[in-house]
Amino acid sequence: MADVILFFSSNADTMIATKALKDAGIPAKMIPKPATVNTASNLCLSIDLGAESQAKTALSGAGVALGGVVK
Amino acid sequence: MKLSLRTRLLGTIVGAIVLCFLVTLIASRIELNNQLRSLAQTQVNNGAGAFGGYWDSRKDQIKLLVAQDAVSDTMRKALQSKNVAALQDQLSNAARTSGLSFLTVVDTNGNVIARANGPAPGSLKSNDIVSRALTGETVSTATLLSPAFLNGEGLAPQAQADIKTADGKSEHIDNGLAIVAAAPISDANERTIGAIVGGVLMNHYYDLVDQATHALGGSSAILEGDGLISSTIQMPDGTRAVDQQVAAAQNVEKNDAPFSGVDTEGGTAYLVRIDPITNDQNQVLGARWYGIPLSTLDAIINKTTLTLLIWGAIAALLALALAIPIVQRLSDTLSKRSIQVRTAAKELGVAIVGSEVSGDHVAMTKAAVERLGTLLDELEGQGQGASGAPKITELKAVNAELQGDMIVIDTLSQEMSNRMQQAVTRVQELNDVAKGLSELVTGEAG
Repeated sequence: MADVILFFSSNADTMIATKALKDAGIPAKMIPKPATVNTASNLCLSIDLGAESQAKTALSGAGVALGGVVK
Repeated sequence: MKLSLRTRLLGTIVGAIVLCFLVTLIASRIELNNQLRSLAQTQVNNGAGAFGGYWDSRKDQIKLLVAQDAVSDTMRKALQSKNVAALQDQLSNAARTSGLSFLTVVDTNGNVIARANGPAPGSLKSNDIVSRALTGETVSTATLLSPAFLNGEGLAPQAQADIKTADGKSEHIDNGLAIVAAAPISDANERTIGAIVGGVLMNHYYDLVDQATHALGGSSAILEGDGLISSTIQMPDGTRAVDQQVAAAQNVEKNDAPFSGVDTEGGTAYLVRIDPITNDQNQVLGARWYGIPLSTLDAIINKTTLTLLIWGAIAALLALALAIPIVQRLSDTLSKRSIQVRTAAKELGVAIVGSEVSGDHVAMTKAAVERLGTLLDELEGQGQGASGAPKITELKAVNAELQGDMIVIDTLSQEMSNRMQQAVTRVQELNDVAKGLSELVTGEAG
């Protein structure tokens, strides 16, 4: 399932994004930030590749700024 | 001692009402005093004018009486025939019926032929008014009659007085202030055969001041120089104030200018106007004094002030009756909110403590998982039990996932801890606010 990693500018944003995706019914798992990702946050979210566009829409609707996506 | 919000609010309202009320009261009193003084001064001036009218009217009346006597046929005939007895009777009757103090006929040399007041002979040649009448002039004026003149008319005792001055001394006067008229008596050929002089001596003569006072109210007086010689001013014992000095009239006499202001006579303060009395040569001889007691004004001012005071007190009580329930409701609401804030702050405090404790536990669990990973690595390194290797590998994978989760949980825990630290500060502030509110409302330290 862990095909796409979404990362954010802060741990707080990551937490809010987790809640937003959960409310939108999109499964997401919070994982430690991979070494290759360059962000101030220590955490990021792992979602299914097919749910990427849905996730982006949900995050945009919740007003959470997405830091980037690693595939 | 701290005061509660209720006490402070009520105190402020009461203070504001009292302050507003006092300022209004003082301003009203000052304004009322000024307006009434101004009104009263106008009334006094009008009264003084009317008193002056009485004076002029009396002067005209005397002039008319004397002029009529001067042209009387019987008078002329009696003078021509030197019928002293008939002349004296006639003069006496005329003076008595017209209220004159004296009425005297002189011949062309100024020698007294007959007097209304008796047979005393004498000469009035040196009298200026008589001299002018003998030259054909009809004279009407206020004048100071000399002791010699007054003696001749038997009026000296009425004029004599000891005027008490302000410093307790007394000043003797023997001149008399009078309204006098004189006219020539002519024969059929219009030749002057004598003169008639008559008048009213004002010293201790009260008809004029009584008449003015009855008609105008207040009090009136006549002054010779600055001494009271006739008045309706009452002394504390009910007698008339006479034979005393009026200090306020000194400048009137000196400057020939009226005085308006406050003057105290017989122990009573009056708002007065003092007008100079002059002769027909514009020399100041005395003054007319007219005044109303200041106590009349003070009574009006005090009564109005008392009325304002009573209504002000009623208004203050009404305002308080309205304010008390409002203040009560306001302070009750504040008190309720204060209690709510304190309760919420207390509950938040519990949440903070719980967060700190759970954070400690997360840290301990993370340490245990890391220790487990280390032990699994050591076990794999020692190569113990070839048959167990797949299980160890599986166990390591699970542990790795567990470690990842623990990192996430620990990060979240730290994040929450940081947030909680900020919350601690906010809760402390909330507590302070609640405490301050409590103190404000109840006046007691929370």
